[in-house]
Amino acid sequence: MSCHLTVEKLVTLNERYHPFSDLTKDLSDLTDYPPKFHFSAKDNICALGFQARAGSKILDGYRPPFDATVVRKMREADGILIGKTNMDEFGFGTFCTNSAFGVPLNPHDVERSCGGSSGGAAAIAALLEKHVSLAESTGGSISCPASFCGVIGFTPTYGRVSRYGLIDYANSLDKIGLIVRAPSDLRRFLPIISGPDKKDPTSCVQPRLELDGFKVKSVAVPEEALRNLDPAVLQAFEAALGKLKEQGIEAHRVSMPSLGFALAAYYVLATSEASTNLARYKGMLFGVRGGHIDQSFNDYFSEVRSANFGKEAKRRVLLGTYTRMVGFRDRYYLKALAVRQLIIKEYQGLMERDDAVLTPTMPFIAPRFTEIAKMKPLEVYQADFLTVPPNLTGMPHISLPCGYHDGMPIGMQFVAPHWEERRLLDVADRWCGEFKIRFPGAIA
Amino acid sequence: MDLEEVKGVAWNARLKLTEEEMQEFAKDLEDVLSYFSVLDKAPDTGKHDFNPVPISNVLRDDEVARDVDAGSLRDSMDTYQDMVRGPRLT
Amino acid sequence: MMIGLEVHVQLPTRSKLFCSCSTSAEEPNSSICPTCLGFPGSRPSLNRRALEMGVEIARFLDCKIPEEVWFSRKTYFYPDLPKNFQITQYDSALGTDGCFIVNDKSIGIWRAHLEEDPGRIKRVGKSGEEVSLIDYNRSGIPLVEIVTAPDLSSPEEARTFLQELLVELRHIIGTTAGDEQSVRVDANISMDGERVEVKNIQGLRNLEKALKFEASRQFKMHEAGMKVVRETRRYDEERKVTMSSREKETEEDYGYIGEPDLGTFSVGAMARSMSTAETPLRRAQRMAGHYALDFGKMRQIVLTSMPLADLFELLAQRVEPEIALAWTLGPISANWSALLSRLDDQVKEDLASIVVLIANREITDSEARRRIGALASGECPSDLSCAVEDGLLDSIISTYIDEHPQVVKDYASNPKSANSVIGHVMKVAKGKYNSQEVVEAVKKEIEKRN
Repeated sequence: MSCHLTVEKLVTLNERYHPFSDLTKDLSDLTDYPPKFHFSAKDNICALGFQARAGSKILDGYRPPFDATVVRKMREADGILIGKTNMDEFGFGTFCTNSAFGVPLNPHDVERSCGGSSGGAAAIAALLEKHVSLAESTGGSISCPASFCGVIGFTPTYGRVSRYGLIDYANSLDKIGLIVRAPSDLRRFLPIISGPDKKDPTSCVQPRLELDGFKVKSVAVPEEALRNLDPAVLQAFEAALGKLKEQGIEAHRVSMPSLGFALAAYYVLATSEASTNLARYKGMLFGVRGGHIDQSFNDYFSEVRSANFGKEAKRRVLLGTYTRMVGFRDRYYLKALAVRQLIIKEYQGLMERDDAVLTPTMPFIAPRFTEIAKMKPLEVYQADFLTVPPNLTGMPHISLPCGYHDGMPIGMQFVAPHWEERRLLDVADRWCGEFKIRFPGAIA
Repeated sequence: MDLEEVKGVAWNARLKLTEEEMQEFAKDLEDVLSYFSVLDKAPDTGKHDFNPVPISNVLRDDEVARDVDAGSLRDSMDTYQDMVRGPRLT
Repeated sequence: MMIGLEVHVQLPTRSKLFCSCSTSAEEPNSSICPTCLGFPGSRPSLNRRALEMGVEIARFLDCKIPEEVWFSRKTYFYPDLPKNFQITQYDSALGTDGCFIVNDKSIGIWRAHLEEDPGRIKRVGKSGEEVSLIDYNRSGIPLVEIVTAPDLSSPEEARTFLQELLVELRHIIGTTAGDEQSVRVDANISMDGERVEVKNIQGLRNLEKALKFEASRQFKMHEAGMKVVRETRRYDEERKVTMSSREKETEEDYGYIGEPDLGTFSVGAMARSMSTAETPLRRAQRMAGHYALDFGKMRQIVLTSMPLADLFELLAQRVEPEIALAWTLGPISANWSALLSRLDDQVKEDLASIVVLIANREITDSEARRRIGALASGECPSDLSCAVEDGLLDSIISTYIDEHPQVVKDYASNPKSANSVIGHVMKVAKGKYNSQEVVEAVKKEIEKRN
């Protein structure tokens, strides 16, 4: 019951798992009559009354002067925003270990990562009943943490949900979506957050959101997606294919050669765009101010940026600046744009026969922080190889829990054609009708 | 990628890097860029759309509207006689 | 000498290019919002009218207009640029390969594109150590940038080019005469060798001054056997000199990428749906050719007002163009503001019939003037009686002398110079006046001007 949620309970949860980077101090608006519901927003989604820091020290203390369109819509639908969820700085990460404001811990095992970058959003969805998390994905930031935390991560088609008020990572890839516990939450909240918004032109071309009227009969499973997997993940995935068959969903093994280019194309585009988006952080108009206004502007900007961006942010800004420089732009940036179209074509080809494409979500279960510390940047990037393709192509996708190993959840990810969110709702309903999702014991 | 190159890119991005950072990033970028060379093998579709779905002719009418108060925005910034203070230009 | 210009003209829209802030604001930082300040989470949305104006300009400049256009991000760091990238057009333009004709010479137009203006910087403090104070009211004002080929061959020609361009733009998009102060130009100038760019010249007057200074600086360097280096300079309005620009010492790599927040725009279809209105100077050119009259006079008419040009063309259909011209620039112009305020079809017809009566010598010149004056003050012209005075004669004389000012100068030393005027009047008036009358009137007019 929503009225049983108290600020004390949230504070206790936050002390134990750190899902929030900013938390409400008052829940008196959260009533049963009239019925209100509670939701959280990833910290890169602006909301009045809360800081919006996107995991970055450079935005410490920044209170945006407006609500993001999604937050406004959720509030208008009687939602109460209880907090901002922690994330990798500007979304730059796979394990939610790149935030300037602490690391959320996996509710299934606090020695393990929640996944990223919407780590806090997935953790709180796993911990709190009747909660809905507004999350955001650029290259897998909804699917990945949903998979690691054993909840449902839904990423709509690019442009389905207004990005007005979303702090940009990469504008051609960013999508606001939902992390929830049950398919019914998707049916309830997806229509609320979707729809054209004049403040985001890219949201204005969408066809109407359909929730029903499609029964998925078959899925394509690319062979390329089943290589380099943790055996436990492969085993759980194969088992899930068997259960899906019993539910009337046939799996066809296919080849999808363009998948081999997706990760590189994604990181080129994401960092190229990100490095321009982050140019605005210069210690002048909002967020952290620089040292001495008496400095030359180049020194002033450089110092505040160098002192306040984290390591991964610097790495991606450097990478993205490089890939769009004169002499490299054609080879990296323009080629990546062309490759994106190639992969879209290949997905569309596969989905002429099959209704969706299915892969595991992540190649392994949530890793321990000690393991993460040993990974090189490229290895971390490569962990995204299954979540990146649908994100690169802007296609809607869902991560559903499909098994457990060592008590840790394993996820599978369905991808549907542009604007065909209803196919994902169909598989979610059918799968969750039989599969029992395990939630970690919440704090009493 | 050599250190001079990293330095040049960092200047372009207005980042001041320590010697250690430069060493580390030079190596990281080298790894990642050599991985990116897989793109050279991809067929070129010649289509350079900036978005994954086609977005065309979304236009706004030329009307004045305001939903965030300009005064409060101005007050949130560091101003002198309502002008925003900036660093030196040289 | 080769001069090429990049002309930045603010478009007179009500709201900014990518947000709904007003383009007219008095107090500093009073017309600002999260979008034009580049706050995180804000987003651009393109102003339809600004796009239309841009396309209208590209069409007018006879540019090739593509089917689709898009925007790009030009990244560079400067305190007046809130996002540290400017949304502009890079590998896309509203139009390319156009031209604009100045003094019968075609000046190539490489491209015209749309972009957002940065904020306005006020420099405070000692030269070389200025801090910046910034007004973001200007941030996001729509600009059209027009890039010419290096076809201009003198500072004067550059000035004329810009002046005439602005005249035409006023008619096309409704800018006001203030554009002569607000227009900003980057100029490339080279004598023989290296190209020097003089950036951020504000206003028409400063353009000519800056170019003249720069041309003479380069000339002196040549004379002294020094090499002109390829560089960017800045025009200092107060000291009236160009100075090497020390501010952006290291070359910026703008790292252009596509702007992913806006999508594409079908300007080809937009251009085809637009109607073409004749601009003032093109009209003057046409009229000069069609009526075999002086372009300068035609220019004077169209610049006074397009309705005056309409009226002139109406008169020129009814009487000799010379006579139509004399009366248009004479008594009609003299009463123009009053006439314009009541200029309906009836008034136009009345004016035409007065001029026809004069041309047929059915009324005297002075009667015609009285009638025009009466029309201007709203009285009924036919109720007024005649008086004899030869105003038409004066008008023909003064028009001719306006065109040939040398006559007046020569007259002091050589009174025979008046003969050219007398000859012209006798020819035009076709024996309407006796020669004594003409000689006296010509002398009177010349002496009046001396």
